[in-house]
Amino acid sequence: MKTLNSVWAFLALASIACAAHTSNWAVLVSTSRFWFNYRHLANTLSLYRTVKRLGIPDSQILLLLPDDMACNPRNAFSGTVYSNADRRMDLYGENVEVDYRGYEVTVENFIRLLTDRWEEGVPASKRLQTDEGSNILIYMTGHGGSEFLKFQDSEEISSWDLADAFSQMREKKRYNEMLFMIDTCQANTLYRQFYAPGVIATGSSEEDESSYSHHADNDVGVAVIDRWTYYVLEFLETQVTGPTSDKTLGDLFDSYDVGKIHSNPGVRWDLFPGGEQAGRSRRVVDFFGNVQNVEVQGNQTGVESLKEDLQGLKRLVQDYQAFAAAQESNKTEMSDVVQRRNLEAVSSGKIRQKQRHTVGKLQLSENAQWARQVAGATVLSGLAALWYFAPKLM
Amino acid sequence: MRLSTLLTLPAALLPLIYAKEQHSYTEHLHLKPLPDNSLYAGFTFTSTTPYTAYASNHFRYFPRSLAQILQYTHTAELHLRFALGRWDEESWGSRPRRGSREGGNGVELWAWMDADAEEGWSDLVNSLSGLFCASLNFVDSGKTTRPVLSFEPEGTLEELQETRNGTGELRLLHGMLPHEVVCTENLTPFLKLLPCKGKAGISSLLDGHKLFDANWQTMAVDVRPICSTGGDCILEIQQTVDMVLDIERSMRPRESPIPRPLPIKDITCDETKGYNGHDTCYPEGPGGEMGWSLSSVFGRPIRGSCALGGGEEEEGFDITLKVPSERTVEVISETAIPQSTSSGSRAYRLPKDANFDLDLPHQALESSSSGAFALEQPPLYASRQLTGHGAERGGMHTLLRNPHPYAQRIVYLESLPWFLRPYMHTLELSGAGGKMEKMFYTPLLDRQRGTHLELLIEIQPRSTVEITYDFEKAILRYTEYPPDANRGFDIPAAVIRVLPNNATQDQGQGRDYYLRTTSLLLPLPTPDFSMPYNVIILTSTVIALGFGSIFNLLVRSFVLVEEVPVGALAGVVWRLKDGVARVRGMLKGGGVGKEDDGGGVVKKGEVVVGGEVRKVNGGGGGGGKKDT
Repeated sequence: MKTLNSVWAFLALASIACAAHTSNWAVLVSTSRFWFNYRHLANTLSLYRTVKRLGIPDSQILLLLPDDMACNPRNAFSGTVYSNADRRMDLYGENVEVDYRGYEVTVENFIRLLTDRWEEGVPASKRLQTDEGSNILIYMTGHGGSEFLKFQDSEEISSWDLADAFSQMREKKRYNEMLFMIDTCQANTLYRQFYAPGVIATGSSEEDESSYSHHADNDVGVAVIDRWTYYVLEFLETQVTGPTSDKTLGDLFDSYDVGKIHSNPGVRWDLFPGGEQAGRSRRVVDFFGNVQNVEVQGNQTGVESLKEDLQGLKRLVQDYQAFAAAQESNKTEMSDVVQRRNLEAVSSGKIRQKQRHTVGKLQLSENAQWARQVAGATVLSGLAALWYFAPKLM
Repeated sequence: MRLSTLLTLPAALLPLIYAKEQHSYTEHLHLKPLPDNSLYAGFTFTSTTPYTAYASNHFRYFPRSLAQILQYTHTAELHLRFALGRWDEESWGSRPRRGSREGGNGVELWAWMDADAEEGWSDLVNSLSGLFCASLNFVDSGKTTRPVLSFEPEGTLEELQETRNGTGELRLLHGMLPHEVVCTENLTPFLKLLPCKGKAGISSLLDGHKLFDANWQTMAVDVRPICSTGGDCILEIQQTVDMVLDIERSMRPRESPIPRPLPIKDITCDETKGYNGHDTCYPEGPGGEMGWSLSSVFGRPIRGSCALGGGEEEEGFDITLKVPSERTVEVISETAIPQSTSSGSRAYRLPKDANFDLDLPHQALESSSSGAFALEQPPLYASRQLTGHGAERGGMHTLLRNPHPYAQRIVYLESLPWFLRPYMHTLELSGAGGKMEKMFYTPLLDRQRGTHLELLIEIQPRSTVEITYDFEKAILRYTEYPPDANRGFDIPAAVIRVLPNNATQDQGQGRDYYLRTTSLLLPLPTPDFSMPYNVIILTSTVIALGFGSIFNLLVRSFVLVEEVPVGALAGVVWRLKDGVARVRGMLKGGGVGKEDDGGGVVKKGEVVVGGEVRKVNGGGGGGGKKDT
């Protein structure tokens, strides 16, 4: 009985103590149908190959492709999807698992996938089975506009839908940190409404700006890749060469070159605990790779690290003994201990929350929107007053 | 030996396999060049497991993922097909394996399941959709039928039920998805079900780039129980991949598959054409049999062998190549290959750890082309078309031709979606050669289930039967249209089962022959999905113009200038303007303005602007009105 309680106590402590991520998932969504939107599928498949190269297994990648380009009768290169006109890398390859295809890629399925609200019978390969230690990479591409994204030319998802879905995921503790990337026209408006903590969002273009394709392949016949995705992939391929790469998100976002991308990509840091500073120090492979939470202490000698471990164990043993004693005297219950620990975590969290309100790049545009609303209201009220009062003046 | 009888051999040897060892795995590749420079390749992979091991979750060669799905959904026998293309009977003859491993375009699935398990079918399609990366979950009640005559179980289901103390009957359910895409993501899990996972043996030839460029291809998964009289049951899974490749197209390199014309000096021209000249050339084919090799057609040689035991590999051969005896065949391998040659076929066994390749050079055969290939005539030719025009109604027309001197009995199964509403009173079998013996018909229910039509027809020798009926197209609700609605809607293929009869049994073909027609594309009346936007714009414009004008006319009253009351602010403004105008007039020229305005006298409703008196408030356009 005593050991069982100590085991439960240890687990509770462990779950609260470690905040780093323990698994990596990727949700890669293309939302466009038809042959002339080849580049959106190529975008998504390039990201798919990148996350596979950096270690995420197929069972933890959810790939949503609404149309079939590789086996499309219009494809001169059967069974192949290229994202570059030099045609050196076949993105479809011989080992691809598409989880949602054709008419299954709908807004409803996407939101159900994020929030894990399914009917019975949906197989495990179609579910996002994340827990509170999972880092999720979400990549979306397609045609979009101001605060909406078009799914298969027949329905739309709005930024509020996404924001609510993410906050549901937060409530259900379905992610540790999330990186949201979107490559559409007016992409930055899509993440404007997010309010769930722990999300870093980046988009390819500002409001009233289009995102452009990079180049076309004359033999495939259509554009094969979009500009923002092309330059993101260029960074990932040349700088993030393996699962142990040390490149950070700050490096990735600093590599954005407006002159090359032809639109203004944006980043949103304010929802991330620690703001821009903490976000910029996150490694790229924390989201794109499948890095387990293992740290190798390079500078300490074996004896020192052993001493640290012994001290940690000593503390734990003292805690167990105190807990066991309290348990035996029937003074405390397990839930009280957990509550106490939770309160400690929350109070430290509150301190962190205060630090979170940094002025990110998006603030300026938000103010501009405010100003626009005020200006519009003023003009309207002025016109109304004019309309009302003018006859009286005449 | 005929193609079909050769392929029935592995199945016939199955009891022998079973008698020797219960966990077994065998594979076989059948190659047959077809006329018109095509190549038929049939891959067969067979694994067995004893039922006791299956029930207690011990798996050796049988794929665990599929077995768990079958256990969970209480499925006794399963047949799953992924198919593309069309089998050209005129050119290629009878279908391989007597059409028993063929499916309708897209995905086709039928299974015998416990009748008690209500959710079994939807669980099965959902689990298979997750396993094979296909959207099989769309096979719902609207796409499912219960055929009566068309399918017979291949396994021994009654004995299985007895041994398992079966809870009850087994029911057959059949579903088809004609619009399903078949691509590399379906091949990947298919290969992962194999013990060698596509890395060794004949499965190492399977490559999505070549397979999905074929003229016709089918991937099939068949699971059936086989029980002997002693009560021991084994479960057998047979995975087959059949394809007909165009040799010339498959040999194009991956990097540049688009054929570019050769310079004219490299082309041999057909001299008999009248327009043949120095710059016009009708290319003449090289003639004879095209040269090909396994590595050039499939992109890679066979790597090693997947001989896992349990079968008769010690005596058996992995590859059979059906070519005439005079055809030169070169074996390219590092080790010696055991082979056997008989008239019309060669057989080879794969080496354990070496690559294996077959090379057939370009050769002009002496025997005539039809003799060289010895094509077998199929029992039946069938084709199906949609007739009629317009968006409201149409007709279905099926043509069945029996070229043989004996009568044939066939079962014709059609499973139509609910928005195609056939009029059964117009069903006609025209032509003297056909007689309908039985008909099974389940009418459609809108949005719940489709039509199920099964006909047992006897066709007289050397005659043609036409089945026709009219149908009406439904108008769907706005939300029921798919995102690419203007493409049309796919109608699944019709399944035709040619029943064995006494005449054919003498010739050694005692089994059914299955064939499927093509799927059809039905154009339904589709709304213009941009109309809501157009309607809103148009209505808003009409309202703005019409309503605004009428509102103005009703609300505004026209009054004379003198009656208009002048407000204080307005008066100040006008006085300022009057002052400015007068100053301007004085600056321009002395007393010129006086004749107009009478010395600056301004009435209350007027203002003097630039030497002219103008009305100020409403009531028509500006125009100066001279007033004194």
